[in-house]
Amino acid sequence: MKRWIAILAVIAIAAVLPLLLSPTGYWIRVLTFTLLFAAMAQVWNIIGGLANQTSLGHAAFFGIGAYTSTILVLKFGISPWIGMFAGGFLGGIAALIIAVPTMRLQGHYFALATLAFGEVMRVIANVWTSLTGGPVGLSVPFVPPSIAAYSFKQLLPHAYIALIALIIVTVIFEAIRRSAMGYRLRAIKENPAAAEVIGIDTTKVKLQTAVISGVLMAMLGTLYAQVAVFFDPDTVFSAASISIRVALIAILGGVGTAIGPILGALFIIPVEELMNDLFSSGAAGLSQLIFGVILIAVILWRPRGFITVFDSLMARFSNKARS
Amino acid sequence: MSKTTSHRGGLSRRSLLAGTASLLASPMIVSSARAQAKPVNIGVIMPLSGANAQFGINSRNGIELVADEINAAGGIKALGGAKINLIVADATSTPTTAGTVAQRLITQNEVTAILGAFASSLTIAISEVTERRDIPLLTMSFADQITGRGFKNIFQIVAKASALGKAQLDYTLAIAQASGAKIDKIAIMYEDTAYGTAQAAGLRAAAKAANIDIAMDDAYPLGITDTTPLINKLRASGAQAVFPVSYLNDSLLLIRTMRQQRITIPAIGGAAGYVIPDFEKGLGEFAENVLSIAPANYDLAPDLTERFRKRFGYFMVHEALEHAVALDVLVQAIEKAKSAKAEDVTIALRGAKFTGGWTKAMTGGAVEFDSTGLNTLSVPVMAQWRNKELVTVWPKDVAKGTAVWKS
Repeated sequence: MKRWIAILAVIAIAAVLPLLLSPTGYWIRVLTFTLLFAAMAQVWNIIGGLANQTSLGHAAFFGIGAYTSTILVLKFGISPWIGMFAGGFLGGIAALIIAVPTMRLQGHYFALATLAFGEVMRVIANVWTSLTGGPVGLSVPFVPPSIAAYSFKQLLPHAYIALIALIIVTVIFEAIRRSAMGYRLRAIKENPAAAEVIGIDTTKVKLQTAVISGVLMAMLGTLYAQVAVFFDPDTVFSAASISIRVALIAILGGVGTAIGPILGALFIIPVEELMNDLFSSGAAGLSQLIFGVILIAVILWRPRGFITVFDSLMARFSNKARS
Repeated sequence: MSKTTSHRGGLSRRSLLAGTASLLASPMIVSSARAQAKPVNIGVIMPLSGANAQFGINSRNGIELVADEINAAGGIKALGGAKINLIVADATSTPTTAGTVAQRLITQNEVTAILGAFASSLTIAISEVTERRDIPLLTMSFADQITGRGFKNIFQIVAKASALGKAQLDYTLAIAQASGAKIDKIAIMYEDTAYGTAQAAGLRAAAKAANIDIAMDDAYPLGITDTTPLINKLRASGAQAVFPVSYLNDSLLLIRTMRQQRITIPAIGGAAGYVIPDFEKGLGEFAENVLSIAPANYDLAPDLTERFRKRFGYFMVHEALEHAVALDVLVQAIEKAKSAKAEDVTIALRGAKFTGGWTKAMTGGAVEFDSTGLNTLSVPVMAQWRNKELVTVWPKDVAKGTAVWKS
């Protein structure tokens, strides 16, 4: 009961926060991207945290989603809301195609195979100029603002859409974690051979998680495209700024927990922005250097993620409440 | 525990002192600020880290030079001597970050205009933000899309990539003809970025129009590490001239591999990596006589560009020069509008002809934007590496030397 009150309180604060920021301003853009990256890291967490398969290729699905909805609106005038589901469908198929041969791989081998898949998608988007516009990238057309056309003059609606998306994927994550599938995944994570012996179809379970993760990641790609308005193959299929970053956010926050990716994104995205704001006018690259040093320090301080800070705070709080 | 307490005590004492001092000083600061006109904030968004950092730094240097000169000469006269206050920010190499940075400069720093961001993809991302907020964006990025989307607040100071590509070929043919050589077979190699593809398209179209056979037409990924297969293909193609379009590292690798394999056909670069001091530094004697198209070149106005060399220790590369012109034009527009309001400046920028100052350094000797925001007076030039310097060799009316053509 107490838990639910706490969760509702957090959602209420998150729902009010965008209203306090200037609707056309800078911080609301940062907030929107923070929420989006939290959602993306949560989706990564389904496969990276629950199935324990460290994917470094989630940009592939993400980019498929961004390109699908944007191409549909550019060429056929189809609303990005519908394009989002089309992108999710293609993202799921892509996840299936990549998962079938790579799911047998473990650890580093799986990570490398997925990394390569993301790069392959980037090259395809670069070369297939007639469809994707090639390296020049695509601009989401500005149509008269309306909810149906997913077009807004201000960033405020985008912030709320990102918040809702984050809540939805977090609920999906938590539902999977608590379901029978979650138990199967945990069994596979602990000991794959033992899981097989007790009758779990490990390949099937892993495939299911991969497809769910791929579908959701592609749908988030559409949301990102609608906020960023312009993107090119290097942006959405980027290993560094998408694939590795979402993994980093989840790992820094706490892999396999629902709160981890949210904590990670709340830290990484604003701090990165703040560093750029404070230091980028000085020596070239200084802001990224400082950001990197902060990341290293944080990981040394909390190797298991921010979630441990959160947990110890909670423990202290409940101890105090008891005494 | 006691340690932290004493530390805290020290801090608060220090901040108390600082606070008192600033309180005492504040009336003076306020009065001195009142005496002077409010400075005009101008945003500068450049890739200051990542693969294109050197170009971003060059651009920033050019802008700082002009800003300091204008401020030293009494600031913006129409605004009571208001100083130019540059807000420099790193676009990194991600378009989305560039867009966020633009949003920050507009809302936090209330900039009048933005200059940037060298790489076309970054500029396009910034323009999506500036267009929605009606802030003028002045750029020297080449991509055709920049002024091809009907935006009202964007100003492209140089010729477009397709025009550069066309000039790269047409000038080369003219130079070859002038030295009695004939070209009927060429090779094109370009990196698969927005800039590379757009310029290659211009080259291709011009070759078709001139009825020239393209024996090789290859895209390669930015940051290629082994160019041997490309060079082998080039040798087999039998091309009489090669047109590589790339940023710095690729350009070094391509030309070095070519020359080491004793392929001596003329190389005509596509600006970017071919017209900066690092090209000569990286290649030494291999750089000699390499040609490159460029949107502008420093030897056309040495009286202006030598000031850059004096301050920064290297010749004024074209991106620095064009950004310097962009800032000069922007300040002229502010003078004309007698206002630092973004919308007034946009109106002043459009349709007027800007002369004098740094605009002399551009081909055409002036700057004039058409309804799309493109500077219609800018014509590309062909430059050639001669003894560590870039000499303009074409078009003939502006050339400072005669091209060396060895086939």
